[in-house]
Amino acid sequence: MTDTAPPTVAPTVSRSRRLPAWLKLPVLIGGLITIFWILAALTVDSWPLYDPIEMVGRRLSPPSAEHWFGIDALGRDVLTRTLHGARFSLLMSCAVIASAVAVGSLLGAIAGYAGGFIDGLIMRLVDITLSFPPILLAMAVTAAMGPGLRNAAIAMIIVWWPAYARLMRGQVLSVKSREHVEAATASGAGHVRTLVTHILPLTWSPILVNATMDFGQVVLLAASLSFIGLGASPPTPEWGSMISEGAVHFYQWWICAGPGLAILSVVLGFNFLGDGLRDYLDPRSR
Amino acid sequence: MKPALNRQLPSWTHLRLAAALCVGVSALAMLPEGASAQDSTLVIARDIDINSLDPSRAWCDTCQIYMSNVYETLIGLDKDNKTLKPRLATKWEANADQSKFTFTLDPGAKFADGTPVEAKDVKWSMERLENIKGGASYMMDSVKSIDAKDAHTVVVTLSGPNSEFLNILTAPYTGVVNSKVASANGAIAAPGADTADKAESWFMQHSAGSGAYELVDYKPGEELRFKANPHYDRTKVGVADIVIKQTKDSVTQAQQLESGNVDVAMQIDPDTAKTIQADTVSVETIPSYNFLYVALSPGAKDGGKLLTKEVREAIGLALDYDGIIDFTVGGAGRKIASPIPNGFPGTDGLTLPQQNLEKAKELMKKAGHAEGFELNDAFPNMNVYGVDMSLLNQKIQQDLAKINIKVKLTPIEFSVWRDRVKSEGIALTTLFFAPDYYGSAQYVQYFGMIEGSPWWNRAGGKRDASFTNPQTETVLTKALSASEAQKDGIYKQLAQQMIDDRIIIPVVSPDLVLAHGKNITGVRYSACCNLMMDEIGRQ
Amino acid sequence: MTRYILRRLISIPLLLLGIVSIAFFISHTTQGDPLISIIGDRQMDNPDAVAAAKARWGLDKGLPEQYVIYLKNLVTGDLGTSFRTKQPVARDLLVRLPATLELVIAAMLVGSIAGIVLGVIAARFRDTMIDHIARLAALMGSSTPVFWSGLILLYIFSVVLGWLPGPGRFDARAVAPETVTGFLTIDSLLAGDFTAFGQAIYHLLLPAAVLGWTVMGIVSRLVRASMLDVLSQDYIVAARARGAGELRVLLNHALRNALVPTLTILGFTFAYLITGAVLTETIFAWPGIGSYAVDATRNLDYPAIIGVTIIGGSAFLISNLLTDIAYAFADPRIRLS
Repeated sequence: MTDTAPPTVAPTVSRSRRLPAWLKLPVLIGGLITIFWILAALTVDSWPLYDPIEMVGRRLSPPSAEHWFGIDALGRDVLTRTLHGARFSLLMSCAVIASAVAVGSLLGAIAGYAGGFIDGLIMRLVDITLSFPPILLAMAVTAAMGPGLRNAAIAMIIVWWPAYARLMRGQVLSVKSREHVEAATASGAGHVRTLVTHILPLTWSPILVNATMDFGQVVLLAASLSFIGLGASPPTPEWGSMISEGAVHFYQWWICAGPGLAILSVVLGFNFLGDGLRDYLDPRSR
Repeated sequence: MKPALNRQLPSWTHLRLAAALCVGVSALAMLPEGASAQDSTLVIARDIDINSLDPSRAWCDTCQIYMSNVYETLIGLDKDNKTLKPRLATKWEANADQSKFTFTLDPGAKFADGTPVEAKDVKWSMERLENIKGGASYMMDSVKSIDAKDAHTVVVTLSGPNSEFLNILTAPYTGVVNSKVASANGAIAAPGADTADKAESWFMQHSAGSGAYELVDYKPGEELRFKANPHYDRTKVGVADIVIKQTKDSVTQAQQLESGNVDVAMQIDPDTAKTIQADTVSVETIPSYNFLYVALSPGAKDGGKLLTKEVREAIGLALDYDGIIDFTVGGAGRKIASPIPNGFPGTDGLTLPQQNLEKAKELMKKAGHAEGFELNDAFPNMNVYGVDMSLLNQKIQQDLAKINIKVKLTPIEFSVWRDRVKSEGIALTTLFFAPDYYGSAQYVQYFGMIEGSPWWNRAGGKRDASFTNPQTETVLTKALSASEAQKDGIYKQLAQQMIDDRIIIPVVSPDLVLAHGKNITGVRYSACCNLMMDEIGRQ
Repeated sequence: MTRYILRRLISIPLLLLGIVSIAFFISHTTQGDPLISIIGDRQMDNPDAVAAAKARWGLDKGLPEQYVIYLKNLVTGDLGTSFRTKQPVARDLLVRLPATLELVIAAMLVGSIAGIVLGVIAARFRDTMIDHIARLAALMGSSTPVFWSGLILLYIFSVVLGWLPGPGRFDARAVAPETVTGFLTIDSLLAGDFTAFGQAIYHLLLPAAVLGWTVMGIVSRLVRASMLDVLSQDYIVAARARGAGELRVLLNHALRNALVPTLTILGFTFAYLITGAVLTETIFAWPGIGSYAVDATRNLDYPAIIGVTIIGGSAFLISNLLTDIAYAFADPRIRLS
């Protein structure tokens, strides 16, 4: 039960076994959006775009045929910067999710497998961390370490790992008592070996679903931190800081329209994808 | 299950009730306003940046306005922003070498509680300003002793000549406080006040001055409310009730002004000013004494060594000054030659900076850096005088790329910036300055490469003394005992020295947008006091 | 059940201590020097002034000592004094709390009503175009950055159309009703000032809608799911068979039962609302706890940062507890995990 992911405790609904058409469409759209942004993040340098840092037009000009999303206050092309922004947002979110999953799962697995004092210690830490509203904790940590992409990422890992620790611990607990695991332990397999070869393989699917669903939330929080000036630094084309630059030039709405739509589409895409993934991997939750 | 249901349902009932209420009420909201609108109050929109309302601790632009209108200084600054005029002191005399001053107080001046302003209050206030060691206490640095000769005569003795001392006394931070009331609330003026004084939180909610207004209420992040001081009779106050409303950004201020929600908007930037269309609003763009500058620190631990005299000169020549003014303030700003505001003593006839990439590249080559290098630029991430510092630094980054200097930008909070510039120094940074009174010595003392001056310290003078300018100190001493007639020439010499140091490179003096309703009169910009509220009236 | 609740209650003080400690130590590892907001930029070069300010604000003591002092004061309800406002943090928070609560409650109202309507419609027209659109609208709610939707809506409704007021909680020129509860809506009603009440609501609409949108997303998903569940039950079929009107079946029979699981979820939305409130308040210049937190972070105002974190943490903790208890009532199986 994470504090930030949408609650996934929907009551069981009796429904036909055939997947209805609408379920496939969102997943498809989500997949396409996701692929587009991943592609953008990886290959944007070779796209026929302007330079994201250089001045390419008259400052504050509205959208036009040459500059679809308009020009910002420093004469840079907003579309170019928005597409370049994918690199920072996606890479950072990937890093955050991957680290949070790694740290969280490891500690959660240890807690679940070891039990007793270690379990208590880790889980109290989880409880305390989860007691903070995520943004306040992230703000406090980033403020303490100093603003910047790297520090914002660290802050977000601190915010996110406990959710995975809790999830993993629950998974390990439910798997631990299964016969083949008990058999493995009885046959003298080491703890690490049992954990890695017999328990972990059975627990990855809910983690994967959650990670996909959380991805959008990480993108959102990262942008929020940048927006209040704690994340990326200029002239990095990060979406949150682009919007905060646009907020100063409020009447020139196009400056923040591009990055805003980008965030919206990425989060939407991953939510669609996560929904589909959950249905596929864990049909019971429907 | 049943109890759970019971526990849940009531909240739902409330929800429905509230929903009905909500719908009914939105109809009400469309009703014309009026009944509760208090038309006589003058509303000023401003981003309130108060650090303290304690007269000896206050140090911010909004504090400057507050102090100017709630407390009175001995000497005032006339509308030409140059001439001194009587305020609490009706007349004053200086000895021959400008080291001893005698002030005669206005016998009619009264504090807001009706008690007269006396020499003991002046003495107490100046001593407290010095001993609290707050932001503005440096203004009392040259004071040796203050004597209350009689109830209406004050004699101030300085430790050395200071021809600018009278100008300092126009700075609102030197305002006179009702010592009896303040002491009763824990204020202490004697040495040791910096730790023993307990009056600051009282001052956050109360004023004890003789100015045209007194504090009604301060709600941090919301508003600062004033009412006219009933015992004030130096001028006739135009509006009795004034409130400064926290309004963060320029666009919102403009919007509020256009809709008639506010009467005066103080921080509309020139870009936004151009979008104002309402014919009920008067917008005037005037030159200001504020400026922003690039500071190069050869003594910075990280990268300072690269900043030799030649490289600093190249950087000065690589900056696109016109472009900077265009980008940061939409063209509404002026170039400025030295770190002394245009129009202050010594600035007439200085050569304004001009971009010259050829010469800059040549200098870089001569310095052995034709291929360029990387340079760190950490700057306070804020918006001052209509200039977005992040925008300014990105423009600097673009400009310096042309002479192959790759600037790495790090925007930081001001507090972090201050800490870093003090400890290890920052190779390239930008900052801003607004005058506290009319006079050029304050700039030389702050920006000159005099051993121990604030920017000498920040530029790393203790680590690298190569840029110390011993001449500046000698000439400054001369300036401080100079007569009015000599001042201009001597300050011009000092200004040229600071230009040649190439440590502080001023880039833009942003214009000020005076925006207010057409029915509002008397809004002007004062070099010492920002906004004088008692001059404002309504037609 | 009692034991479960008791166990949870006992854990609260410990968790609070954890929150306080973490908040305290995180804030005290900051890079910058908060003194600058106390004595100003120029005096930082004066070692005497720096030492005096440190002594006055208790920053000259070692960290463990400061921590012990902080805890001692905390027990008496003293959260320290803000470096920036020079007022007790507890007082600052108390003054600003009503603004935030008013916004959050309004957002919850707007969000749950819209969410319920949307959820019911989506369930009724299941798998049709209407359902898809409703679901998309809900999903957009939790995918849109509030700081962006706030800006865009402000631009549209306030600048272009001029229908709604700009940022702020009240008209600049209007006189706020006398403060009793701190809720402008309630205070204006108490004062019998309907114009002020209308204004307070008028200013509340946009931020509440922006913040409520996220809640709507969550609520409508849940209502839809539980409506679908309920609609297939025997008694609904029976009611329909008896010839009850469609609206009556939907609202009286189905919604009433579908709402129970939904209400238990409202606690969850609190997390969204706190995050949202910080950003919404920044955009809408709302003088609440959220904007206080942002200002405090920017000024390295430790006492304020810790204060906000503690208050936010405790509120979060309690709402989580209430949610879990409501859950345990609704679904006894939960207690096992």
